[in-house]
Order: sequence, then structure tokens, then C-alpha cells
Amino acid sequence: MYLSREELRTRVRELGREIERDYDGLGPMLVAPLKASLVFVADLSRAIRIPHELDFLELASYAASADTGGHARVRLLKDLDAEIVGRHVLIVEDVIDTGLTLNYLCKTLGLREPASLAAVTLLDRPYRRLVDDLPVRYVGFTVPDELFVGYGFDLQERHRNLPDLHVLRTES
Amino acid sequence: MTLETPNFQAYRGKEPPRFANRAELECAKVLDYYGVPWDYEPTTFVLESDEEGRIVEAFKPDFYLPEQDLYVEVTVMKQSLVTRKNRKLRKLRERYPDVRVKLFYKRDIERLAERYRLELAS
Repeated sequence: MYLSREELRTRVRELGREIERDYDGLGPMLVAPLKASLVFVADLSRAIRIPHELDFLELASYAASADTGGHARVRLLKDLDAEIVGRHVLIVEDVIDTGLTLNYLCKTLGLREPASLAAVTLLDRPYRRLVDDLPVRYVGFTVPDELFVGYGFDLQERHRNLPDLHVLRTES
Repeated sequence: MTLETPNFQAYRGKEPPRFANRAELECAKVLDYYGVPWDYEPTTFVLESDEEGRIVEAFKPDFYLPEQDLYVEVTVMKQSLVTRKNRKLRKLRERYPDVRVKLFYKRDIERLAERYRLELAS
């Protein structure tokens, strides 16, 4: 086990306190890309004690695109339900490593003229960043170069439901 | 081995890229998928010249990301075997301190492959 449910709960609560302090009176909108951030955003939302909204979007995965045989560009499979013009948007990510996904989201959502755009991530691997100029305002844990399952992270759609975060050991 | 050359949309180079291996191709495809402008081997950095100005040692990073002003070198060698490349990288940073360059090791590529299910076998 890498992080226990207690450690996760404590850190998420701290992030919630920081966010409610920074966004007090702004009515932020939490935007979570499906699916791995689902557990995190559910806990984070409950840790934020100021009024806020939740919305979700889903990106076509690179893998799924490759499976169809075409060389495509990333696109939204599910867009936000709400308008974000003039809103304070906080993207809730499960993990940031290369920054490619978050970069795309920031560019796409930035075109819709939100009042502000920032990101919170549960896990961060800054040493693998390809895109640096990202508005990552809150980081739960900076993690080593490991694969994780549990707390929303999956292995072929399994283990998302595990309450703790585990390191996945693969045979080489 | 002949590698496919897809019709890249975020490629900013003039000539079609000729990748040295599958890992480079797959990295290019991921960058292109996410719409991050990239170029392939656009710059040769001179690391050492002899007394007559002839290039003795040079380094040409694989990718350049103009929006990030970042060079990326992709290596499929194990981290323990990249001493020579690391030495070149160190030299590059000494001679060109303003140049931002990042080395992606075999392990980094494998992580990308796991995340994006890249085809690195061939």
C-alpha cells in the first residue's frame, strides 16, 4: 500500500480548506475529467464547505483512438453540461505527468472565457512534464515513478473501488 | 525497418520526419494527438570543435516543442546504459545553459506506453 485511506482523507481535507479559503465568495465550478478523478472529486467536493458546482467531461483516450486504426486528435466524448463563461473553474485531475491532457483541457476551456482557470491534482509527477506552463495550483502528493491502483485508479477498469492507493507491481 | 509516417497535424518541420525507432514514432503520435506543436531533430548543437573549427562532437535532440521551448531526447536504452548520452546532455547544458532539454529514458517511454497503450514492440 502506498497511501492509506486515512492519509488520503487528511490530505484531501487540507486541499479542501485551501480551496475554500482561496475561492470564498467566488462560487467555483469543479470540473473533473472522467473516470479516474471520480473518487477524488467526490471526496474533495465534500471537503469544500463553500458553495460550488460540479461538472464532468470525458476525453477520447489515445489508446481508444489508436484501436480504431486512425491517427486522430484528442476530442471530447462528453462536454460540460454548464456554461463556464465568467466562472471560476477548477479542473480536478487524478494525476499529472506529461501535462499533455491538462494542457489540452486548459486550451479548450480557456477559449470559453472563464473568469479564472486553475487545476488541482491528487498526484503529481513533475519530473516527467513536457508542458510546464500549466495552472497547477494545488497538489495532493508528489509521487515516484510507479503505477497505482485504487482510489479511482484502475488496471483495465478494475480496482478503482479500493479505498487505499496501492503500487502496482508488474512483472518485467 | 520502415516506419509508417502518419499525416501529422501538429508537426512544424519542413521535411517529413524519419524516425530512428518505434519509440520516437509513438512519442510523435502522442504529441500530435494532443495538439502540441513539435519538430523533429531541427537543431544540431555543437559540443566540441577542433582547432580548425571542425565539429568533433555534436548532439541533435529528437524533438523540439516550440510552444514549450523544450528539446526532448528519447532513448530506448536502459537507464544504466545511457552514460554516454548523459555525458553529452551534461555538456550541452554546460555549453548552452539557456537551452531546456529533457531526456526520456526507456522507463519513461514504458510508462507512456502503459498509459497510452503504445506499440513499442516492433
